[in-house]
Amino acid sequence: MRSRTSKLTSLQDAVALVQPGALVAIGGLWFQNNPSALVRQLIRAGVGNLEIVAAPPSSYAVDLLIGAGSVSRAYTAHVSFDHLGLAPNHRRAAETGSVEIVDCDEATVLGGLMAAVEALPHHPVTSIIGTDLARTSPLAVRRPVAELGPVAAPEAMRPDVCLLHAQEADVYGNIRYLGTPFCDPLFAKTAATVVVSVDRIVENDTVRSEPHRTTIPGYLVDAVVEAPYGAHPAASQGLYPHDEEHLAAYLAAGRSAQAWHADYLRPWVLDLHDGPGYLDAVGGPARLDRLDEVVA
Amino acid sequence: MSVPSAPAYSADELMTVAMARELRNGDLAVTGASSLVPVAACLLAQRLHAPDLTLILPSGVVNPPPGRLYRSASDGRWVSGAEAVGTAYDLFEMSENGRLTVMFYGGIQIDRHGNVNLTATGLEPGKPPRFRGPGLANTSFAAVSGRIILFSASHTPRTFVERVDYITAAGHLDGGTSRQEAGITTDGPVLCITPLVTFGFDDGKSMQVRSIHPGVEPAEVLAKTGFPLSTETTWPVTEPPTDVELRTLRTVVDRTGELGRNTRP
Repeated sequence: MRSRTSKLTSLQDAVALVQPGALVAIGGLWFQNNPSALVRQLIRAGVGNLEIVAAPPSSYAVDLLIGAGSVSRAYTAHVSFDHLGLAPNHRRAAETGSVEIVDCDEATVLGGLMAAVEALPHHPVTSIIGTDLARTSPLAVRRPVAELGPVAAPEAMRPDVCLLHAQEADVYGNIRYLGTPFCDPLFAKTAATVVVSVDRIVENDTVRSEPHRTTIPGYLVDAVVEAPYGAHPAASQGLYPHDEEHLAAYLAAGRSAQAWHADYLRPWVLDLHDGPGYLDAVGGPARLDRLDEVVA
Repeated sequence: MSVPSAPAYSADELMTVAMARELRNGDLAVTGASSLVPVAACLLAQRLHAPDLTLILPSGVVNPPPGRLYRSASDGRWVSGAEAVGTAYDLFEMSENGRLTVMFYGGIQIDRHGNVNLTATGLEPGKPPRFRGPGLANTSFAAVSGRIILFSASHTPRTFVERVDYITAAGHLDGGTSRQEAGITTDGPVLCITPLVTFGFDDGKSMQVRSIHPGVEPAEVLAKTGFPLSTETTWPVTEPPTDVELRTLRTVVDRTGELGRNTRP
């Protein structure tokens, strides 16, 4: 009898599913649940000319990809390091025009994803009104809706690949979040290829003992990567908070493109591989498991 | 001559208490990024006069417990002890159906009519912006939320401007009835809280000082606000935090003192 196929794969093989020029959805929100290890591998693999879309509030993973020069167009709404400061590479790319930033917001991104979920060409969102975004965004193009008149109706957003980070999965791709999954389930439903890194692999029996806790079922998922602390320096909700010291060093390096390449991209991404080497460099579990005590 | 003693509370604590007083029992409040003060104000109001207020964090977390304030409103540690964990889809539902009654916004620019810019300044057609801001995750909440409370940790002429370079979140647009004429049916900004004053809105929907914080000189407010303010009547002084407000804030909401670290700029 044929045995069930495991979707467990390596970081390298998972990232090989991303083609140059692809539209890639980046999971998580702010510096929570970022697919950081996947994105660093994507940069090392040199996959470029990407279009990206992210949750309406995004942060580290988006700024990292932009800084590495991997992105040609970004469908983003809010990109920041929240209370820590602005996203340096996103800001620089917008101010120099090196990346086409397509200003979005929650309703335009979700509207586009909803259209894809519903297999419709576009999805009207009546709440886009009164702002300069409503006036100028290509995603807020108004189309006539019966009985309502012209309404902003973003076109269907269908990512080629989504890269997500969750806390747990079994090898068949049943994904469990211990905090908010935010946009990730919508990305999983709309992306042609779904890649998820998780901090730990659990047994299929564990999934079956609590089926109501499966956030994204395996039939939507193509590849699972076991990546302990794979969201670092972002948080993995329910397991570890963000690494504020590391993020502060990232922002300090971001003062110029040159400094960021020399002080962050080269030592932390290009010259280091995710896995034991990266974990040792950031202090290992001995430090990461105690972040709750030091991060306010 | 007596030396004036330092206030017994921080600027953030005063802003938190002033904001909490504006929140109503039954409110459904959503906060955004960099929102330590609004989150604390909601948690404080729940313990004082608004037990039926629902607080929703920008991650979708519903009614997190008080005790320790995390500086990021999306911090995963807010999940523990909360009543529900929503998703982006739950926030989308609220933005389309207008379920929320109060929303909080800060901005890189806020203008006299309460319009908020979080996108960019120095905009010229066909050119990249001179300064790029973070952008805004949800612009719809400004249109559909029952009312808006603005806040800013900095009170300077660069923040409080005559007219924003870009309307990211709609306030009273051009003032007067222009908000309604644009098809928006909600109240819009009703209040703006800064480290110096609370602003209200006059009949023409321009910001005016509603109260000046204890120890602040009117000349400083006039100098640091980038649009004219009426001085026809004396500005009342903001009521300082009461003992009960301050004690509840420090012993129930903010036990680790996150709001106490800033002093008045």
